[in-house]
Amino acid sequence: MTRVHQVLSSAGPYDAVSVQARLWRELLGRHGFGGADHAAAIDPRVRREFAPLEDLDAGHGDLLVIRYSAYSPRLLGLLDRPQRKLLVYHNVTPPGYFWNHHPGVAVACAVGRAQLPLFARAADVCAADSEFNAADLRAAGATDVRVLPILFDPERLAARGSAPRGEGPLVLVVSRLAPNKRHDLAIAAFSAWANEHGHSARLLCVGEAVSPTYAALVGEMAASVNGHGSVALAGGLSQPDLNAAYATADLVLSMSEHEGFSVPLLEAFHFGVPVLARPAGAMPEVGGDAVLWDRGDDLAVTAELIGLALEDEQLGARLVERGHARLEQFEHARTAERIVATVEEALL
Amino acid sequence: MTSPEEAEAVAAEAARLRRAAGGYAGLDARGALDESIVAGEPSRELLSRWAVIEIEPDEVLYSTRPAGAPITWAKRLLVRLLRQYLVELEARQTRFNIALLERLGSLEQRVEALERDGAGRRDT
Repeated sequence: MTRVHQVLSSAGPYDAVSVQARLWRELLGRHGFGGADHAAAIDPRVRREFAPLEDLDAGHGDLLVIRYSAYSPRLLGLLDRPQRKLLVYHNVTPPGYFWNHHPGVAVACAVGRAQLPLFARAADVCAADSEFNAADLRAAGATDVRVLPILFDPERLAARGSAPRGEGPLVLVVSRLAPNKRHDLAIAAFSAWANEHGHSARLLCVGEAVSPTYAALVGEMAASVNGHGSVALAGGLSQPDLNAAYATADLVLSMSEHEGFSVPLLEAFHFGVPVLARPAGAMPEVGGDAVLWDRGDDLAVTAELIGLALEDEQLGARLVERGHARLEQFEHARTAERIVATVEEALL
Repeated sequence: MTSPEEAEAVAAEAARLRRAAGGYAGLDARGALDESIVAGEPSRELLSRWAVIEIEPDEVLYSTRPAGAPITWAKRLLVRLLRQYLVELEARQTRFNIALLERLGSLEQRVEALERDGAGRRDT
């Protein structure tokens, strides 16, 4: 049996890279590939799914799929291995967002970006999940980059857990709590809209924090919201609970400044929830005309856009209709076919 | 109905009208995180601030494991027990950082002087 081993810098329960590794594993298994998934750092909650990197047992004819999203000193050792390598680049956030909040993450981002050329040169085949990320890979010296979108599996979105409690329109922000996601702007714009228009709406931020210190900082911002509207941080939610949140949401909001793909766009399209977002990184190529884009930097305009998206039913319906059409481009079978073809090509 | 393409302009006009009527008075033009985000290379001033290593254990030690509170407590206790050693370590790292920054500053001054000198020679 041909074996394909996936290697990540870190594995966790909710992050997009780990979720993609799981979906690829299922897909590869269905196509008769063996192998296992390894990570240099493993969250205790996913120890059953990911093995330590030192346990990687790859034979000569095996393929290593290196998922690159941050620096890890232990990933460098993979480059000297004799196996063929498929580099999948998920983007590395610019370190400037983290220097003042989490120096360790900033260092991992800075070195990760600096070392990308080493990985691009060592890989037999290079792939990125968006054109935005592919441009980074080309700048790092990769000459032939395949764009393989995120493998979007609607089956994961079927189970329903507990819906968020409370009354009034629900605005969701779905992303890791990290400085580049700009939860500060989302909270400020939402609060301004709720107070200006006198609406008792809810803003729910779903996602794990980059550190407890940063979670506390965003928590303070949420707690400082006065008047109309309420802001809550849910932390990381299980997929069924996240699905329930999407199913009851009236708007998905993103003020993020750096996105290598943005899976929540596709999830919102799937659940028929309108999206208001800044056109950051790969978001325009993923969202196309199905997103209400906020191109400026005036939070009062963002606040008014929140109001339009929530109150203009025809506008919301148009966005939802376009979102469903947009999803066809990311249809599971189509992406799966491209992934398997790339893996087979990398094995040659 | 507002089309998605028209929405931004409609929202901008609505915001302008509300501001004219005294609305959005308390809305800061900048986000709370703006000042903490470093665009491009860190400035000399920022490097000077970072050079001094003083780590508050309660801010950086935690555990992500289920029921991690006792683990966090044990980590903090360990750091307190090793405080004498860690303070010395911080001091030595700070000494190196500050000396390096001063050296960098004097090298920058020499480069500037050489560039001025070179420009003066070309002019004559």
